[in-house]
Amino acid sequence: MIGLPPAAEWPSVRGLLADLPDEALPRAGRFLARLDPADVLAAHPATPLVSLYVTGHGTLAALRPALAVELARHGLLAGITLADFDAWVRDLADPASDLYTTLGKADGPAFALAVLDPEIVAAELPPPWRAGDAARVLDAKIELVERLAATFAATARGATLVLNTLPLPRELTAQLLDRRERAALGAAWREANARLLRLDHPEVAVVDLDPLLAEGVRARDPRQSVYAKAHLTDDLLAAYAREVAHLARQAAGPAKKVLVLDLDETVWGGVLGEVGPEGVEVAEGYRGEAFTRFQRVVRQLGSQGVLVAAVSKNDPEPVAAVLRDHPGMTLRAGDFVQVRANWRPKHDNLAELAGDLDLAADSFVFADDSPFERGLVRRELPGVAVVDLTGEPALHVAALLRDGWFDVPRLTSDDLARPARYREEDARRGFLESFDSLEGYLAELGTEVRLAPAAPAQLDRVSQITLRTNQFNLTTRRLSPAEVRDLAGDPDAWVLAISSADRFGDHGLVGAVLLRRDGAVLRVENFLLSCRVFGRGIEHAVLGAVLEHARGSAAREVRAAYRRTARNGRVAGFYPEAGFATVHADEAGAEFRHDLTRPPEPVPHIRLSADFGGQQP
Amino acid sequence: MISVEEYVALLRDELALPVTEDDLGRSLDTVDTWDSVHLLTLCTLLERQTGRPLPFARVLEAPSLAAVYELATAS
Repeated sequence: MIGLPPAAEWPSVRGLLADLPDEALPRAGRFLARLDPADVLAAHPATPLVSLYVTGHGTLAALRPALAVELARHGLLAGITLADFDAWVRDLADPASDLYTTLGKADGPAFALAVLDPEIVAAELPPPWRAGDAARVLDAKIELVERLAATFAATARGATLVLNTLPLPRELTAQLLDRRERAALGAAWREANARLLRLDHPEVAVVDLDPLLAEGVRARDPRQSVYAKAHLTDDLLAAYAREVAHLARQAAGPAKKVLVLDLDETVWGGVLGEVGPEGVEVAEGYRGEAFTRFQRVVRQLGSQGVLVAAVSKNDPEPVAAVLRDHPGMTLRAGDFVQVRANWRPKHDNLAELAGDLDLAADSFVFADDSPFERGLVRRELPGVAVVDLTGEPALHVAALLRDGWFDVPRLTSDDLARPARYREEDARRGFLESFDSLEGYLAELGTEVRLAPAAPAQLDRVSQITLRTNQFNLTTRRLSPAEVRDLAGDPDAWVLAISSADRFGDHGLVGAVLLRRDGAVLRVENFLLSCRVFGRGIEHAVLGAVLEHARGSAAREVRAAYRRTARNGRVAGFYPEAGFATVHADEAGAEFRHDLTRPPEPVPHIRLSADFGGQQP
Repeated sequence: MISVEEYVALLRDELALPVTEDDLGRSLDTVDTWDSVHLLTLCTLLERQTGRPLPFARVLEAPSLAAVYELATAS
């Protein structure tokens, strides 16, 4: 986000923020905090507004941008009122205070944030002080908070009071020289925090700051605290604001109920289509253990009522084989309400899954390691929450849990029974291809494809592709590195490497075309493409380039073969769809010819550069 | 070190303050959309950008953005 977005552009803000790394959010927040919610509501009256009354002990102005951006990440508009400095006791104790008046006028979810910091205790320690003094101050403060919470519950009907635990500063503990006394202070402090966490009013939520601090967020900056009375750092307030945004999202709805997982590189390591059911990484090895850890967390969520589904670009049989037979898997077919393994766009699968489960796609959270798939789902189904997984599986758990997607105020027995109920209604659907709705997205993707004779350094990778590619492999002739090198040196043969890149990055060498000159016939001996990139038109553009090249040469026709295996059924129609006529076909495969009278269909969304190395077919 | 141009860019692009170089000498309470909390954020951003500590107490007393700049660049 660069600069201040006009209020009219509010609907695009959530998507813009989704692309920003965490460290860019404070800056975006400072711009968003300057937007007047009234202007946004005037331009977009349906925008969900959450009212937040911020009060506390210290300087809390940094919460305004932090709340603005964290709520905006969830599509929520923050209506923030900042109380006078150190007004929290008066605000909460007096039923006629600004706090209760403001919350009473709120239309929609309303929160009072009473931000507590260690200074509420430290400021009241007598000089000099001992652990017993600190324990007495803590007791008195917690009793005060308990009374204020009761007043709040009785006064602000329908609103929520957000409290937080107190970080324990080393500047306090280290002032006590006696080891036992220092420990006593630590214990009394934790007991006070425990009493806060045990406050049991449905109207009260307590944000536990300990897990945020354990992530490495600094609690205080002495200079900001001493000079500006900002007793909690901007970083901690930002992390706190994220937790508040989760509470706000729960109140504003709709709730998230379904976790949809990609499989390859998300649930297990490796590309199933390349390595086969026995070859996926799970349970063993460094990466395998990381994927197992992720699977355990998914199961943990499932045990608390989250519906887990899988949507994967794979053939259904090997996916079923892994879920059923792989000894290392923690997740099994029974853990999923549906497993959709097919080759259609994921957003179509998500939409159908929503239909099958009779839930809105807005209740979905989708996790995938592929920026392509995530971008497509974000674009086609903006209501779906998208979890950005990376190539580092050890970070999958943190990414999944980052935004508390499935947090609820209280789990119900209905929540717990939900997965079993849905599994009973499981119906797996077929897998036809339809990429029509993809065209706009593909046009935006800026795919660049390079087709050129494989360089010597690429020949091993070409061999690997022939060995590992099962689905988009027209003849499944496996070639060793030596065989590929022989072909590359053959004056009548071409080993062409397919490389691709798009706005998400460079995919490197993703496929290969093997050609052979046979008199006036140009033979496509094999055509291979990694399943990570097919379905984007790359295959059609490359075949078009081969045909175009043949038309400009001495060749009279292009011949191509398809040899059927258990895994490559989906490419049986590849050549006929590209204008080839069938010469013969049977169970084992087919032979096709293209007479080169018509030019190939262009693939407008792909920028292709082709180089046949100066040889003439 | 930070140049005046970089300082103005930081105020505009990071702190979201609609100021120009001409506003630097103005008394802070006459700077459009200025809020005292901006000073805290400005301290953090300046320390991050220049890699050196700022005298907070002096910054909090600074009468203008130019005065803050002088404190950030004083040797």
